[in-house]
Amino acid sequence: MEKNTVRRFRRFAVTTVVATYLLIFVGGLVRVSGAGLGCPDWPRCFGRWIPPTSVSQLPATMDASLFNFTLAWIEYINRLVGVTIGILIFITTALAFLNFRREKRILYPSVAALLLVAYQGWQGSQVVSSGLEPFLITVHMVLAFLIVSLLIYVSQQAYYLESPETEARSQYPPEAKKLILGLWGVVIVQIILGTQVRSLIEVAADKFPLFSEGALLNAADPLSYLHGLLGVLVAGLTWYIGDRMLKRSQRPSPLVEYGAKIMMLLVAAQIAVGGILIGFHLPDLMQLYHLWIASLFTGVLLVLYSAVQRKTKVQV
Amino acid sequence: MSNKSKFPKIFLWAGSLAIILAIVAAVVIQRAHHSRADLPVYGTVPDFTYVNQDGQPFDQSDLQGKVTVLEFFFTSCQGPCPVMNMRMAELYKQYQSTDAVQFVSISVDPARDSLTALKAYSHRYGVTDHRWNFLRGPLQDVEDLSVKGFKLGGNFPAGHSTRFVLIDRDGRIRGYYRSLDQASLGVLQDHIRLLARARGQT
Repeated sequence: MEKNTVRRFRRFAVTTVVATYLLIFVGGLVRVSGAGLGCPDWPRCFGRWIPPTSVSQLPATMDASLFNFTLAWIEYINRLVGVTIGILIFITTALAFLNFRREKRILYPSVAALLLVAYQGWQGSQVVSSGLEPFLITVHMVLAFLIVSLLIYVSQQAYYLESPETEARSQYPPEAKKLILGLWGVVIVQIILGTQVRSLIEVAADKFPLFSEGALLNAADPLSYLHGLLGVLVAGLTWYIGDRMLKRSQRPSPLVEYGAKIMMLLVAAQIAVGGILIGFHLPDLMQLYHLWIASLFTGVLLVLYSAVQRKTKVQV
Repeated sequence: MSNKSKFPKIFLWAGSLAIILAIVAAVVIQRAHHSRADLPVYGTVPDFTYVNQDGQPFDQSDLQGKVTVLEFFFTSCQGPCPVMNMRMAELYKQYQSTDAVQFVSISVDPARDSLTALKAYSHRYGVTDHRWNFLRGPLQDVEDLSVKGFKLGGNFPAGHSTRFVLIDRDGRIRGYYRSLDQASLGVLQDHIRLLARARGQT
């Protein structure tokens, strides 16, 4: 395998990961800005490939009450970014198929990401046609987390193909793998709890439409309290594991060293964002960052786990 | 990825990107909120005086101080009316904790829709208080109100509109929504909340 081919593929895959995180951000922005129904039809927007700029441009069959210029364009940009990421993932998979057919660790997750992103596109249409059913929005978010995880795995495996000596000399604490896996499990529980808190707030908003955000947050008790408590536990665990990885590892690879530091920084940021959410009655921007940081955090955990796993394999 | 010295640079880029994204997102969120608050005014509800299912007079002054969702219907309608009123009943139930929002259904078939018929019809949709009024008035007046006042359909009874009309606390028409379309109803709920929250919160 030519090293340049691997490097080019790895760079392309990393670019796709970054772009996918941007899409998760834009998707979250659509939700917090209330633009989910900005385009009430799918894949077109008010029957047009480019959204209308005024009510007069609406086809007679479309409901004028649904038209809001700003919301339509926010949702339309989300779809444009989504299509771009779909194309990037298609190219990643095509490159994997052309160059790494024998590397199952690259080919299989690439194909899985492509299939999932195609499904995600269709599922997005269901979110719109359901009038933003909360459960379908949660599924949309979970799928995005899965897709980006697969892409991270592909990028990391390509990196190992490019630099096979990585992790050859590193030594990690023997319990590192179990600790990271345990933390990942707690984080998944925490994310599920977070989606439930969100659902409870939405149910309360439906039942008491005129309540303020602060009053709605109270409606999510005691689950929101548990979510906060578990958040502190996740932060403590993260700092414990991060500190252990940094202090008790020998010659850690850059991925592990920086991964551990970024993981610790992200959890600190998440705690700060969580505090602002509670203290300032769920400001929209912080809701967006709360979700985005969670997606970044799970990605970094995956990188760390794969690195320690790789070390185990190298030792064998 | 493989070079240690690259880390601070990458970190700087990531930090800058996060800040730029935060600024862009804050602007987008603010614009989105402003755009939603900017509901058009389609006109003022003209004068009318009808009677509700309890035999009490109900006129345009009863629209003052409350956000109103209004529709035209008739009790023997087997077409869209049952679905329309099922949706209206969902809204009625949803806003049960507040007096700030009320619902008005105007019969387009006053010959058959006696007050007794309207009362029985209101029970069928679970109406237990004054927040949902079923009105009866002279046919010509109702047709004028629908066609001239609300710019909706005439040719009663079958030709009545299936739209829900949103009226603000000052008796001004602020939106028309397809009662049979879930997305349109989602926007209606958003707009009701917006108008009702405009003066104080529950």
